[in-house]
Amino acid sequence: MAAEGPPPPVDLRDPAVFAQGIPHDLFAELRATPGLHWSPQHDGDRGFWSVTRLAEVVEVSRDPATYSSEVGHIQMYDIEEDCLAARASMIDLDPPVHTRLRRLVSSAFTPRHVQGYREAIRRRVRATLDRLEVDGGGDWVDLVAAPIPIGVICDLMGVPEADHGYLIELSDHLVAGTSSEPLPADAYGNTTDLRLLPFNSPAASAMSAYADAHAARLRERPGDDLSSQLLAAEIDGEALSPEEFANFFRLMIFAGNETTRSAMSHLAMHARAFPDAFGAVAADRELLGALAEEIVRYSSPILYFRRTVTRATELGGTTLAAGDKVVMWYASANFDDAAFDAPLEFRVDRPPTPIHSAFGGGGAHFCLGASLARLELVELLDEMFDRGLELDHGTPTHVDSNFVNGIEHLPVTVTRSSDHRSTP
Amino acid sequence: MSEDVVRMQVNPETCIAGGQCELLAPDVFEIDDDEVIAVVQGDGRLDRKVALEVIDRCPSGAISIVEPDEAAGGG
Repeated sequence: MAAEGPPPPVDLRDPAVFAQGIPHDLFAELRATPGLHWSPQHDGDRGFWSVTRLAEVVEVSRDPATYSSEVGHIQMYDIEEDCLAARASMIDLDPPVHTRLRRLVSSAFTPRHVQGYREAIRRRVRATLDRLEVDGGGDWVDLVAAPIPIGVICDLMGVPEADHGYLIELSDHLVAGTSSEPLPADAYGNTTDLRLLPFNSPAASAMSAYADAHAARLRERPGDDLSSQLLAAEIDGEALSPEEFANFFRLMIFAGNETTRSAMSHLAMHARAFPDAFGAVAADRELLGALAEEIVRYSSPILYFRRTVTRATELGGTTLAAGDKVVMWYASANFDDAAFDAPLEFRVDRPPTPIHSAFGGGGAHFCLGASLARLELVELLDEMFDRGLELDHGTPTHVDSNFVNGIEHLPVTVTRSSDHRSTP
Repeated sequence: MSEDVVRMQVNPETCIAGGQCELLAPDVFEIDDDEVIAVVQGDGRLDRKVALEVIDRCPSGAISIVEPDEAAGGG
């Protein structure tokens, strides 16, 4: 397939392109170029189309019959049929199977339902900020951004507190599978062929082993958590298989943890970079939701997901054939000036629509945990404002990945603004 | 029906229970915890302005306005 014009002098597969965060100039150039951008085949892996404008991300997201999550991989590189089957969780499936799986858990994540978790989230927020304040600072990621979301999702999944650290570690290694230096194949005593594992990571097999043991515990003594609910659930009269449960568990832990953590890490940098916006919200808490939404748009924690074309079609002026790979760059669509006024400005007065695509472009795979993530961010921000916390930070270490816009470490110092110094 | 009031419907095939509708118009939409989809309450009448916002905010595009002839025919 021929591309229109010469390709830009970068390879979008290369994690180095994202080493300092979202490459705004590059994406602006791709958005301004008519048609879809073509990345040629590389190292035997087929080339792919890049979708960079919001309208087209939404079009692809809302048409799973044409743009499938199931017939190919949802990451940019291809994997074989048996690997697809071994890894599959609902995120890798199309309706109607996807719909049946998602409905096993979706009622726990509606905006109304997540309000029930507010108090527990606030307690976790307070505990992490207490710890940070005792030392006057530390690694924001280790002390705040990582423990809050993993704590919340582990509570939902019935995972005991003592195991949260282990699951953070495994989840981090999954992301490392998208970096230039993945784990050795035999890490965590792994004996499974790496190509069968999500992110080609041995940590995925450790996560499955944890899920098996967790399931065994909960079969003995079920709780009111989502894992117990999944183990008791039946689809067409059949319970989930151990592999299906493990894949479901892994998806929930990974998705509930890495993404919100990333948004919370960026939040600390936004607080210093955009003091006017943060100050306005500190003074008017009605704007907390708008601030959380802008943090999510601006950080775009997941850079992209891919779909595979099922039938000949046309998108954004480019003709696509069945089997073509289409990569939706949320990190680009969220800065599309056709959709957002002055997209590089950080603003808390944006209109409610169009919705950014950091939770996905809509459709069946729209982020299940969107309302939970928003609530976690709002509770963190509200508590920071209550305390009058002022953050300064050193140089962030970015996660080495072409898939997530993550922050590995962020050294911060924390003080209280003068009118808060007398409070505890 | 006044021009400013419309009737709403939810496509049960595409609804993902995102719950935005319930948040914006709790008198008209409710997420049914057993079916795990949004269901329309009562006659589903909603102010057109709110209706358009609900349609915009629905992440799966499952909500639409019942067109007048549909409403007359389907009841």
